[in-house]
Amino acid sequence: MKKQLCLSLVASSFLFAQTDIEQLRTEMNKQQLIIEKLQEKLEKLENANANKEPIKTEKFVAPQREAFDQSKFMPDISLILDASYVSRSKKDDEVAHLEVPSVVHGLLGSHSDGDVTHSTYNANNGFNLNYAELALSSSVDPYFTMDAIFHLSEHGFEIEEAFVTSTALGHGLRAKGGKFLSNFGYLNEKHHHAWSFSDMPLVYESFLGLHAINEIGAQLQWTAPTSTYLMFGAEVLQGENEQMFGNNTIGDVEAPIAKGSSAPSLFVAYVKSSIDIDDTTILGGISYANGSSRVDHSQEEVPSAFSGDSSLYGIDLTVKHYFDSYSFLSWQSEWLMRDMDGIGYALDPADISVVTTTTNLRKKQAGIYTQLEYGINKNWSAALRYDTIYKNDVVEDGVNLNEPDSLNSYSAMLEYKTSEFAKFRLQYNRNEALYNEDGLRQKIDTIIFQTNIAIGAHGAHSF
Amino acid sequence: MRFLLLLLPLTLFANLNIAVSYPYIGALTKSIGGENVETVVLANGNWDPHFIVPKPSLISKVRNADGLIMNGGQLEIGWLPPLIKRAGNPKTNVNASTFLNLSNHISMIDKPQSLSRSGGDLHPDGNPHFHLDPNNILILANIIKEYLSSIDSKNSQIYEKNYTVFSDMWKKKIELWNKKMLSKKGAKVVQFHNILAYFNKAYGVQNIATIEPLPGIPPSSKHTIETIELMQKEQPCCILHDVYHSTKTAEFMSEKTGVKIVLMPHDIGALDSVEDLTSLFDYLTSAIK
Repeated sequence: MKKQLCLSLVASSFLFAQTDIEQLRTEMNKQQLIIEKLQEKLEKLENANANKEPIKTEKFVAPQREAFDQSKFMPDISLILDASYVSRSKKDDEVAHLEVPSVVHGLLGSHSDGDVTHSTYNANNGFNLNYAELALSSSVDPYFTMDAIFHLSEHGFEIEEAFVTSTALGHGLRAKGGKFLSNFGYLNEKHHHAWSFSDMPLVYESFLGLHAINEIGAQLQWTAPTSTYLMFGAEVLQGENEQMFGNNTIGDVEAPIAKGSSAPSLFVAYVKSSIDIDDTTILGGISYANGSSRVDHSQEEVPSAFSGDSSLYGIDLTVKHYFDSYSFLSWQSEWLMRDMDGIGYALDPADISVVTTTTNLRKKQAGIYTQLEYGINKNWSAALRYDTIYKNDVVEDGVNLNEPDSLNSYSAMLEYKTSEFAKFRLQYNRNEALYNEDGLRQKIDTIIFQTNIAIGAHGAHSF
Repeated sequence: MRFLLLLLPLTLFANLNIAVSYPYIGALTKSIGGENVETVVLANGNWDPHFIVPKPSLISKVRNADGLIMNGGQLEIGWLPPLIKRAGNPKTNVNASTFLNLSNHISMIDKPQSLSRSGGDLHPDGNPHFHLDPNNILILANIIKEYLSSIDSKNSQIYEKNYTVFSDMWKKKIELWNKKMLSKKGAKVVQFHNILAYFNKAYGVQNIATIEPLPGIPPSSKHTIETIELMQKEQPCCILHDVYHSTKTAEFMSEKTGVKIVLMPHDIGALDSVEDLTSLFDYLTSAIK
């Protein structure tokens, strides 16, 4: 059957062969023409391409340039410049010698301590470059982030902060290690460019100095699993605050004036809570710091030293009401009280290794700052601040020195922002807390025009 | 007694407790999650979504969440990072499987050609207000369904079912809105900030100018006068104004040109009558008269 079919197929093909060949020839010619035309077109197109860009010969060579490129892992970098123009009612030299009696010497202006020049923000009449702040921030790996804030000034390079923060502990726990601003109180943790005024509140700067509690150490914070914000924190810090805390030996190591204590020597604890009532947020906190004090003022005009233990208590309250996305009224206050108990040494100005008198010294001092800020809109903001150190009990060998205790300062400011990256602020201060060497109260008026400009990637600020 | 209640852990009350940045995400998540999911919305719907205050109470909300869904496209850059940082919750960290960035799943428009702050507050990845195109809501609903199923696989069938119900309803709504907006095709509008970019694109509405000279930069008199001149030439139908910026400049422009101002809600809660996702788009598609 199969054979038959095959044979008949072969036969039929022969039968049709003659006419088929003719047809195929004409068909082939047609196809030939089409192929030729297509070839022409192809050549034209190829030429056109060749004119535009040469045919790539390195087709199989993988680009090596970015094979090990890590630039995508660049941390967030920002630079913040803070400069001011200052006009003060007293000369710089005069101001540097004034003191808040038994609290701090040379609060305003700059002073030299050995080789190091210390100056507060807006220290001099005329122009001041307060700092250029370089901030770096990035995640390290799935478990940590790292932040560093460097203050570059004309006097040098300062590590304001450099710390690692945990991100994976869970249970509301967060650990931090390195050099950082303590979370004591409200303002302590905030950077200068986030303050409402261009200077620090009197009580903060007098008790703790310009950088407040800014130490090397470790921090652990726990946010409670409650619907109301409740946070507990504890910090173990080296304890090297120049105004209040310290553990270094004072004087010659062989024959010290006061022996050092073991470090770390400063311990901080706080609890914070917050509630919202409609568009009003209330944030409050209670803070406590305790540490050893070795305060070395041997380089100053009237050389002295203090050795003992100190406690610092703080209560802070911030009430902020929002009218809309851009305007608010904020009332921020903090109370600080310190208790320093130890031995005071008066040193011989001719030879600072010689102790002239030794006294049992106890300082109980307290102050408040309270400020009201009105954020008018996205561009404008205005604020008032009242500062006071109202308690200044200094007892030497059981005798109250009756130091002045109504040490006040008043400030007002008007701020204009062209954007969130550029801030211009006009501030007026009246300081009635400073006394001269003759024990006379000085009234100092200061006008500060401050500019604060930021570029780059800078993380958003917390409340 | 009331204080004690406030101290109770939130997690006691819900199966899955998801924190979301904006109200529209909350509504969408609730639609898909149903009774298995409790949503905690961080931002107010009547505020500028770029400027939300990182209130401490929000730290607790993030701290107690089982996951976090955000809009992304840098819309939350000014307020969400400090909350995540302080919450100490690994489930809300950016690299966690329980963290969802919606912008990763949408192709964004108006990506700036060059990036410099001299051009104002630019969003490097494009306009992030993509939820105002109702077609995108479907994509987002699907992503949220996938997300909920991945972190709570035992209930994935429920999420699938809820998604089907939602998307059927939404598709019908889209047809209605398309019909309503058909006659608005080619309409010219002016806005304060180009928050309606996706809405306008979906319905062929043409934005000819913004009242702010550059994104995030408040109106200037020079730009206002230029815009008034443009409006007199182009004759737009209306000024579509958001609810959170002052309408002062818009009122001035309206007075000079006779072009009327129409308030456009951008999210649930932006206006009292906008209570859910459908009423948001019902309102938006009826607003241009």
